[in-house]
Amino acid sequence: MGEVLNMSRQAEPAAAQSPKPAVVSLSDARVTYGPTVAVDGLSLVIRPGEVIGLVGANGAGKSTLMRVLCGAATPETGTLSVADAPVDFDRYGPSEAHVRGVRIVWQELSLCANLTVAENMFVERPDVGASALGWRRPFRRLARESLDAVFPGAEIGVDRAVGDLPIGQRQMVEIARAATAPGLSLLILDEPTSSLDAVRSRQLRDFVRARSAEGLAVIFISHKLGEVLDIASRVFVMRNGRAVMDAPAVEVTPTRLVEAMGGKDAVSATARPPATRGEALAHIGGALTAPLGGDITLHAGEIVGVAGLEGDGQKPLLERLFRARAHDRDVTRNARVAYVSGDRAREGVFPLWPVSANIAIGRIAERAPLSRVSARKERQAAEPFAERLDLDRSRFSSNILELSGGNQQKALAARALASEADILILEDPTRGVDIGTKRAFYEVAREAARRGKLVIWHSTEDAEFAECDRVLVMAAGRITAELTGEEISEERVLATAFAGREAAGDAAGAQRGNLSLALARLALRNAALVGLVIVCAALVWLNPMVASAFGIELLLGPAVALTLIAFAQMFIVGGSEIDLGVGAFASLVNVLSATLLVSSPVLGVGALLAGLAGYGLMAGIIRLRAVPAIVVTLGASFVWYGLGYSLQPSPGGAAPEWLRAITQWSITGVPTPLVLILVFTLIASLLHRSRLGTVLRGFGSSPLALERSGWSPLRYSIIRYVIAGAFAGAGGLVITAMNGASDINAGSGYTLLAVAAVVLGGCRLLGGFISPVGVAAGAVTLSLIGALLGALGVSTDFNAAVQGLLMISVLGLRALVEREDT
Amino acid sequence: MNRILSLPKRHRWIWAALGVLVLWVALSIATERFSLHSISGVARSASFLALVALGQMFVIATGRGNIDLSVAGIVTLSAFVTVTLADGSNLHLPIALGAALLTGLVVGLINAFMVVRLKIAAMIATLAMGYILATATLMVNRQVRGFETAPALEWLASGRIGDLPVIALVAILAAALAAFLLNATAYGQSLSATGQNIRAAELAGVRTGRTVTISFVISGVSAAFAGALLSANVGGAFLDMGTPYLLQSVGAVVLGGSLIFGGFSTALGTLFGALLLVLIVTTMQIWGLPAGAQDVVQGIVIIAVLAFAGGIGAKRRSAPRRT
Repeated sequence: MGEVLNMSRQAEPAAAQSPKPAVVSLSDARVTYGPTVAVDGLSLVIRPGEVIGLVGANGAGKSTLMRVLCGAATPETGTLSVADAPVDFDRYGPSEAHVRGVRIVWQELSLCANLTVAENMFVERPDVGASALGWRRPFRRLARESLDAVFPGAEIGVDRAVGDLPIGQRQMVEIARAATAPGLSLLILDEPTSSLDAVRSRQLRDFVRARSAEGLAVIFISHKLGEVLDIASRVFVMRNGRAVMDAPAVEVTPTRLVEAMGGKDAVSATARPPATRGEALAHIGGALTAPLGGDITLHAGEIVGVAGLEGDGQKPLLERLFRARAHDRDVTRNARVAYVSGDRAREGVFPLWPVSANIAIGRIAERAPLSRVSARKERQAAEPFAERLDLDRSRFSSNILELSGGNQQKALAARALASEADILILEDPTRGVDIGTKRAFYEVAREAARRGKLVIWHSTEDAEFAECDRVLVMAAGRITAELTGEEISEERVLATAFAGREAAGDAAGAQRGNLSLALARLALRNAALVGLVIVCAALVWLNPMVASAFGIELLLGPAVALTLIAFAQMFIVGGSEIDLGVGAFASLVNVLSATLLVSSPVLGVGALLAGLAGYGLMAGIIRLRAVPAIVVTLGASFVWYGLGYSLQPSPGGAAPEWLRAITQWSITGVPTPLVLILVFTLIASLLHRSRLGTVLRGFGSSPLALERSGWSPLRYSIIRYVIAGAFAGAGGLVITAMNGASDINAGSGYTLLAVAAVVLGGCRLLGGFISPVGVAAGAVTLSLIGALLGALGVSTDFNAAVQGLLMISVLGLRALVEREDT
Repeated sequence: MNRILSLPKRHRWIWAALGVLVLWVALSIATERFSLHSISGVARSASFLALVALGQMFVIATGRGNIDLSVAGIVTLSAFVTVTLADGSNLHLPIALGAALLTGLVVGLINAFMVVRLKIAAMIATLAMGYILATATLMVNRQVRGFETAPALEWLASGRIGDLPVIALVAILAAALAAFLLNATAYGQSLSATGQNIRAAELAGVRTGRTVTISFVISGVSAAFAGALLSANVGGAFLDMGTPYLLQSVGAVVLGGSLIFGGFSTALGTLFGALLLVLIVTTMQIWGLPAGAQDVVQGIVIIAVLAFAGGIGAKRRSAPRRT
């Protein structure tokens, strides 16, 4: 491994005197993304008990290296062995890495926000614990023990949803979950302390020290150099995908680290005349520039760099410059702006369009909606800009995705230039492009500045700031320094950024709590219960008879079926989808159970099971063909309806005796429907809280995290739909029992009502937050609204409108509260 | 004017057109009963559907699985409004038609407000709107005195020039207008950009909120227009008369080759899609398939086409991630 090291003075760790097998041994690994070499022939041997401090500037290749170690990226060349057993890269994924004892705590958290701390433990290690009831207990204990092992005294409620925890505590859970996994041999911590306060950060380091003494190997990645030197036994510095320093921590100082990261052979800035400043185009002030002691004005004709360590507020600053909202007094601009993002796939290209249209949209977007657009003219207009960027004109008709990343980026730049905006925001525009394209970009930026544009350039490659006239260095969300002219160099930028981080202090996870917002959230989450109480109170006030057992029985009768069908919808919504066929399916079951099930029970049961299989099939189509659930279920609703209509075109049939017996019993003084609703709610709640329900909820909010932990999306999708089908079917059976007959149109109204009940019940359409009690309350409230309107003397015609308005206002208010939250 | 879209995608409508042709030929050969008269019947039904579907297409084009579920409610309400205000006279027709179209416009604006400002998912917002429209329809229903349609509107809806139903001309004109909007205006380009990638569209300077709003308004107004004409065709208005148009409008758009996840729409395809869907139903009727079976086949056809086309859309969608 010595050949790639500039400093080959390799430290033999004390443990190596009696050589233990290496925990991980990577040799000559090379990873490229298009023309970018992320890891360039790098070798790394880690022995038990070592703590490696891994540092490097942005884009040095640290993350890619870690992805290789934990199975999330495959190198083109090189070999990897874990515990002296060679790794077959084709079969080495995150779960295989887990089995072999290699774990990483990702920078972007991989917990399910809607699950509790204990449930997140379960998702990761489902094999612990056995009993069906109280299955959470071992995971609660596990969670508590893990947290105490790493962060003693951290009072984190293990029954709280992770999403409700402040970011610092979330990070603690994430670390504790990975760090205490059984059979762990290498723990990778990627910026673990970014949201931890000083105490927790020290606790983590103490834990690492204690575990490494027992033989655990740790890789500790951080921009906080003091921490790295404090904890590491060995320091490994990366630059441009290579190792540039590998030395015992005791021999290293922070200054030397920064030097090693920044190197001297950066892209040499070519000589160029100083920028001639034009009129002021943008202004940054307020809290953002407080560390500087004054505002910053950006002028036409300048190239202004925005630098800092990753996640220090550069992107949000660019976003604010782009939006320049009226109420944002700190960031203002008085000219039109164009934005080029380096994240081409997510923020740049239009994948269905050829290159020419991708460029032309920059010009077209500005025009009045009805102004004419001619492809030929737009193409001609785009040509000069493409030429300036050296973009081959013969490729204009090709789909943009057929171009290399560099050429795609050129097209996006041409789009911005074509828009004739006066301010160009370039957000890491040269990410993943070759050196030739980079040069072209520098040239374009300079020419744009010469033509009197203001260019604002954010880069994750600090060397690129040599192209700028001014560099604003950010730390912890603020601009902490402004470098100009001669001051701008890679080392200087880096040093200033680190200095800013230290000065800003540890980013303690201080969360603002707002009482009134919390109350509003609580009320909204329980909107259905609040609504239920109000509706019931109003009904009783208007007519005290309602409160009698008979009154309740009469009023709640229709609510039973709705509650069940709403549960069906709830489980689908838990997966961030909507079923527009639940009502029709309930009707079909209604018809089946009143006809076929009576005349030929075996065939009837078979038909009901086939219906459930149909639900599973829908899930398969939706998942495998990636089509929207809403249309598939809408189509299915026609199938359900058609089948039911074919069986029995006009209302009729009779309920099977046993079915009537189940639902029509009566004990004096006990309202049967109320008992049924409570029983069904209990069943739904138990399912929701069971291990299966927990996995389903996890998929609703963080499918990726679940997949990483080895759960199959297709399988659980099918299970989810079959559960929904079962509840909708039960709803259909209840309709049969209650009406004593069947009608294919009986359930048609339930589809919309079920969605309304789910919305009222506090469930979220995105994110897997569902609540059976809320949904039941919502369903009952909705069925009582008709009675209430009747009691108030309002025509039942208003029923639907009240239900619709209720839905809209709950969702609208929720949107308002969420806007306040962010 | 389609040149701005690359070649293979430009021809997605051909599949629906081929389907129409094949069914047509098969029907003509297989049965005597498929006469010229039934062709114009098919054309008429398809035209009403096409009007609703063309509007739906603009909402689907906004992407992210957006669908306008309120079209059924708008069709019904607008039919009631037209019948009530026109009261069987040409004199009141401008007011009646104006009120019907205004209804569609206002509903579209409210839908857009909920989606763009309140950030409510389009399907939920339009679903809730459907509830409110249902009540509004019941209110208008009380005002209805008679079921007489204005003669001029009746001519538009069920008249014919030679052998050609006037309504077919109306649908063709509407499709041409939609094609013009999609392919030759700044709005059309902005719409496609928004549907493909709303974040990229925003960064490219597209006013995505305005674009989405226009789309919902187009959907509302075309559904309202279809409702007004439909009232003249059936000679009145009845509750739930719009209901079939919900699935069928989505079905026509998907059959026509527009992408269900947005970003690419073809007006010609939607026109053929509507024709194909109605032809499929007619075929089943000629075969003497019972009504229930017809529904089953319709549902299966739409899911099958979606599953087939959805794969294509999904592949495109995941393509950028690989670069």
